[in-house]
Amino acid sequence: MKEFFFICGLSLLPLGVSANSILISGADVYSSAGVLARTSVYIEDGVIRALGDSVPDSADMQIDAAGKSITAGLFNASTHLGAVEVGMIDETVDFFSENPAVTASFKIADAFNPQSTLIPFNRVHGLSHALLVPEAGSHLFAGQVALVQLGNRPVVINDSVAVAVDYTESGFELAHSSRATAMAMLRQALTDALDFAANKAAALAGDRRDYSLSLADLAALEPVINGYKPLLVRTHRASDIGQILRLAAEYKLQLILSGVSEGWMVAEQIAAANVPVIIDPIANLPASFESLGARLDNAKLLSDAGVKLVFTGMSWLRTHNAYLVRQSAGNAVANGLDKGVAIAAMTYNPANLFASNVSGDIVLGAVADLVLWSGDPLELTSEPDLVMIGGEVISLESRSLQLRDRYYKRLQKSSP
Amino acid sequence: MQPRLLTVSGLLIFLSMLGCGNMRITSDPEVIPRPDKNPYPSTYQIPVSAPWVLLGANLLTGDGAELLNVDIHVKDGKIVTVGANLEVPDDILRVAGAGQWLTPGLIDVHSHMGVYAAPGTDNHNDGNEMTSPITPQVWAEHSVWPQDPQFEKALAGGVTTLQILPGSGNLIGGRGVTLKNIPSLTVQGMKFPGAPYSLKMACGENPKRYYGGQNQLPSTRMGNMAGYRAAWIDATEYKKSWDDYVADVRAGEDLDPPKRDLQLETLVGVLEGEIRVHNHCYMVDEMAQMIDMSKEFGYQISAFHHAVEGYKAAPMLAKENICAVMWADWWGFKQEAFDMVRENLALVDYAGACAVIHSDDPIHVQRLNQEVAKAMSAGNRMGLEISAAQAIRWATLNAAKALGLDAQIGSLSAGKNADMVLWSQHPLSVYSLAQKVWIDGHLRYDRGDRSVQPTSDFNLGILKPGAIRP
Repeated sequence: MKEFFFICGLSLLPLGVSANSILISGADVYSSAGVLARTSVYIEDGVIRALGDSVPDSADMQIDAAGKSITAGLFNASTHLGAVEVGMIDETVDFFSENPAVTASFKIADAFNPQSTLIPFNRVHGLSHALLVPEAGSHLFAGQVALVQLGNRPVVINDSVAVAVDYTESGFELAHSSRATAMAMLRQALTDALDFAANKAAALAGDRRDYSLSLADLAALEPVINGYKPLLVRTHRASDIGQILRLAAEYKLQLILSGVSEGWMVAEQIAAANVPVIIDPIANLPASFESLGARLDNAKLLSDAGVKLVFTGMSWLRTHNAYLVRQSAGNAVANGLDKGVAIAAMTYNPANLFASNVSGDIVLGAVADLVLWSGDPLELTSEPDLVMIGGEVISLESRSLQLRDRYYKRLQKSSP
Repeated sequence: MQPRLLTVSGLLIFLSMLGCGNMRITSDPEVIPRPDKNPYPSTYQIPVSAPWVLLGANLLTGDGAELLNVDIHVKDGKIVTVGANLEVPDDILRVAGAGQWLTPGLIDVHSHMGVYAAPGTDNHNDGNEMTSPITPQVWAEHSVWPQDPQFEKALAGGVTTLQILPGSGNLIGGRGVTLKNIPSLTVQGMKFPGAPYSLKMACGENPKRYYGGQNQLPSTRMGNMAGYRAAWIDATEYKKSWDDYVADVRAGEDLDPPKRDLQLETLVGVLEGEIRVHNHCYMVDEMAQMIDMSKEFGYQISAFHHAVEGYKAAPMLAKENICAVMWADWWGFKQEAFDMVRENLALVDYAGACAVIHSDDPIHVQRLNQEVAKAMSAGNRMGLEISAAQAIRWATLNAAKALGLDAQIGSLSAGKNADMVLWSQHPLSVYSLAQKVWIDGHLRYDRGDRSVQPTSDFNLGILKPGAIRP
């Protein structure tokens, strides 16, 4: 620890010593209201108590942050954090169900491992929250999406913020046939869920017709068909997006779209339905026939049409390197997206959609979930100087940093 | 589309028929006929263009220097001079570079574009000949689909040279090929003239996982080693059979040449130092085994690819003159990729070994400059004080060195190929985009001019008649 802080040249407090008050002076603050240039932030007992001219003159910990920037802690809205350790080691992989009797009822939160090495690795780089989105393994319904906070004591904030559906080519494969089969299966499942909800006692007593999903799965769909909980549908092709929008309207569902490589082609429709999208703005390849329209300014075009963006990224490393959502966001800006919109897509927007008790913002009264960046908040050469999650300063330690320090010492002895 | 494919396959059949001759019989009695080492030669030609000069750019030269406000004179595809206020002929074409950053063309030494083309459907699954763990007889160039729409995206990211490798499913996966990232109907038209061939080998989990699952060797790491060694023993004997044949013919004997063996020809190319070994290898202990094996059979390893534990191996790599080809931050998909540190490139560089960035991925290849930026930043965070000029070597001169092409490409200096990228901002900024990309002095991409944005046949009308996929 001491060595790390020495290297960083910062007067941060070592882990275990709590600072009741923190004053960060002169950083550019990226808030939902815009950029507050060269502004000071005062945090007391983990809560943002003063901003700008009203901050006190001193605090337990004081950081001169001229030339630096502050954002809210970053969200990645499509990960398996805590539900996988090593991708190719099946025993550590808990993010999908191959049991056809456990689909919509599959709760990835039940598998969440707060001791995963992935969590400290990502939080030291500014990731404060993540959605855990299960993958479909036996049916189009993948299971229930969880929201986790990645602080010093990682915790599931909400074990079911949405029910995930895979309406992509891999989902169609699970449907054993065409995308039309997949749509029929979705309708059947939703119809079954309605029937089950209306006739629960009879169904539980075994007096209703056969259903296409287990009773537990139908029960998990009840808040979805009642419109309390969003259906989070991953899909890419423009026509598939259109089909899902129609399905949601027909069944009066709350909908969130994910993936949407061809979202820009139906951006007006998505905006008109007031449906937010979770996308990785870096995806620009025709990786499959459902994503022929993928392009680097998809995020910009969706935003221009009025669609609310929530980001994931970067590319297929969005779990182990979930913090690189920031690189995806930077690339979206390089390709035309407004920088404030890009930052909101990994802070304020996901907080607003999924976390009633997280502000995702730098505002008075908010619990401090924030990152002090050494420079511009999206530049890859900016590093976190301070990360606070849930009002606590997080420990800048990880397995990876321990490995680095061990071998750096050896190299120092053996190198010129 | 279809007629063109027929034309290409027809051409390939024609070329392979030529290759079937095996021996180029010559009338010179001093020349003993041996198999043609280059039966699929490059047909690339540098387009003819007038000399020109780029004025007043800021350079990261690729060999560690930063030069501000200098000119570059380009002629016949080569850099003639780099310097301030160059005196050039009055009528020469001038390109404005003032205030803009220039780097050498970026080089990706580990790509599967073309062999795993987009869309990623089964018909494009051409990168791993997984019917046997030892397949040095397969050549990646014979799988490359030049119309892969991924190539042009890498070009728009400033990538001018690519090494296309077979996958890592096999112990010995086949020959890799170095391409210029230009539009071409044929792979021969993309082949970098004179570039050495490479041999892809793979350590660790991939071969043993797949073949172990098939209940055949290798199912273990010791099985991996046994597999490579058996192949090198065969290659050594095969080399001897040709060496003996040559010696005997020189001594006046009238002999038929040994029967050709495509597998062993490639391995002998390694033993003779003509084919460079690019070895997929994550872990330090396996790298040490591979180095011992190279000494057992007498060949040099050019680079360990992926090298997630490069920072553990760095002193050994420096001593053995082996490049470590690394990602900035990939990890965790396999146990052998678990010990990743973001400082990997920085630490390998610190130890005096040859550090190289690579993509292995059609998304990451589009922004190798960003991968360099991340790796540099991690090193600087721990106090290594790496400048952008030093860091860009990881995607330029060091990469060229790994390919055996450092005399031709990888830096902005007199005599080198004029492979250059002009950036919209500092090249290591996340906001920076390649504005103009030259290969051999010829403008191959211009963000501001749609007529200089090559696009694959695949993209025409695929989304909408009359439109081109963006």
